[in-house]
Amino acid sequence: MSKRQFPRGEAAIVGIGCTEFSRDSGVSTFTLAARAVKAAVADAGLKLSDVDGLATFGATDTMTPNMLAQALGIRNMRYYVDQYLGGSVSMSIIGQAALAVSAGVADCVVAYRALNGRSEQRKNGSTIGSGSKMPWDIPFKLSPGAVSPAQEFGMIARTHMEKYGTTNEDFGRLAVMCRTHASDNERAMMRHPITLDDYLASPWIAEPFRKLDCCLESDGAAAVVIVSAERAKDLPHRAALIQGAAWGGGVNIVNNGVVDLAETPASVISKRLYETSGLGPKDVDFAELYDCFTYTLLSQIEGYGLSEIGGVPDKLADGAYDRATGSTPVNTHGGLLSEAYIHGMNHVYEAVQQIRGDAGHRQVAKHDVALVTGQVGYLSGYSSAIMLAGA
Amino acid sequence: MQAPRTDAPRRALFSGDRDTTPYWAALAKGGLQIQHCRDCGAWTWPPRLICSGCHGENLEWTPTDGAGEVYSWVVSHRPGAPDYVNLTPYVVALVRLDIQPDILIPGRLITDQEVRQGMRVRAQAEHITDEIGRLNWVPE
Repeated sequence: MSKRQFPRGEAAIVGIGCTEFSRDSGVSTFTLAARAVKAAVADAGLKLSDVDGLATFGATDTMTPNMLAQALGIRNMRYYVDQYLGGSVSMSIIGQAALAVSAGVADCVVAYRALNGRSEQRKNGSTIGSGSKMPWDIPFKLSPGAVSPAQEFGMIARTHMEKYGTTNEDFGRLAVMCRTHASDNERAMMRHPITLDDYLASPWIAEPFRKLDCCLESDGAAAVVIVSAERAKDLPHRAALIQGAAWGGGVNIVNNGVVDLAETPASVISKRLYETSGLGPKDVDFAELYDCFTYTLLSQIEGYGLSEIGGVPDKLADGAYDRATGSTPVNTHGGLLSEAYIHGMNHVYEAVQQIRGDAGHRQVAKHDVALVTGQVGYLSGYSSAIMLAGA
Repeated sequence: MQAPRTDAPRRALFSGDRDTTPYWAALAKGGLQIQHCRDCGAWTWPPRLICSGCHGENLEWTPTDGAGEVYSWVVSHRPGAPDYVNLTPYVVALVRLDIQPDILIPGRLITDQEVRQGMRVRAQAEHITDEIGRLNWVPE
């Protein structure tokens, strides 16, 4: 019988680093990864020679740990993860790194994601692989002309609209909120504020989704350094303890067994994350939720119990998730919708900066416990999430 | 400079793998075939050699009209694959099959009617090449 228990608070994030986020980095993902890792290690007050583990994820578009270790002179690699897939697995590599550190397999693991998601391998489906490089389920999406995530998530969002009466205006309020949060974020790619009218005037992409329902496509990298909670005490910043991590779950619509797409698959990971961390929705001071589309933000607000099912529109009207005045600020940096699409690693960066109290004019009032999630659990059939707490 | 051929044969964007070849070939010949388990009676989609019900390998390719109802849909204003460029805007419908309601299949819905959840549809196969066909949906 397994213990089914994550080593609560035994590992911590002690360093964060990122590159500029842009539409065209002008360099390789190799360079992006190296820059972000170097920045994170320096921020932690450590040296590259202290690193003995690397963890990343991606779909053939990131720089792999073996190559990066050689470039950075990491000779004593004891642990690596090169997880296939996208946003759904983004938090799993943090969980894996925490397991490795708490087990003593490695002392210092850097988790990173580097991508040229706009200038090279785009995420809108237009640069999908061909022949044997094509993921197994892609022919079943290419054939109906529906390989773009906007179409798949659009169909899923539609089921929620049909079942709960959710409207485009509700999605629009989430887009406006994220843009407002990005407007004073120096890292954000999209900083000009928008109104609900701007949202409603933005062109259809895959109806019910307009352009402003869809996240950005970005070039860039972000990295975080993970060591034991004990070692974190000797390092310069307030540590972000990894109180819990959970991954798995999810549904893939290219499969039979799908019953009701409107019911958020995040509820599976949410339940496990809360159990293993010993924390609940009421303990969450702020949340950085994977927002590849406005709808996935809504779906996760529901799935993590930050609203009742179907209750997000009313909460939005009350400003419950606004950074400045909300009871539980969500996506304080503007998220994938307005900061950048660094596949969720930028959410971890922001969460740690907030926990430290280093977020400047973006700083939220209560910043001890942060929920950070990967993709809600559609598309690939995976999801992942972590819970961070300030030491 | 050679003028572009207007009668160029259509080209498929993908090829079936060793397990799914019969599925695409059946569509090329004009019909939808889904695997039915000789042991447990379950239907399996997408095509593969392992039964979704009992996980055995005793599946039989079985013709079906694909009757079902629209569960969800998007109106695509951008092409979701290169060969859909001239079709925009087009509707992609996710259809729940009558034969087994946990099977949802996406396909282009060809209709002049207003699309709604629960709309009755059936499969219509479209020839792309002799090896690869496409599943579209049309009103029943």
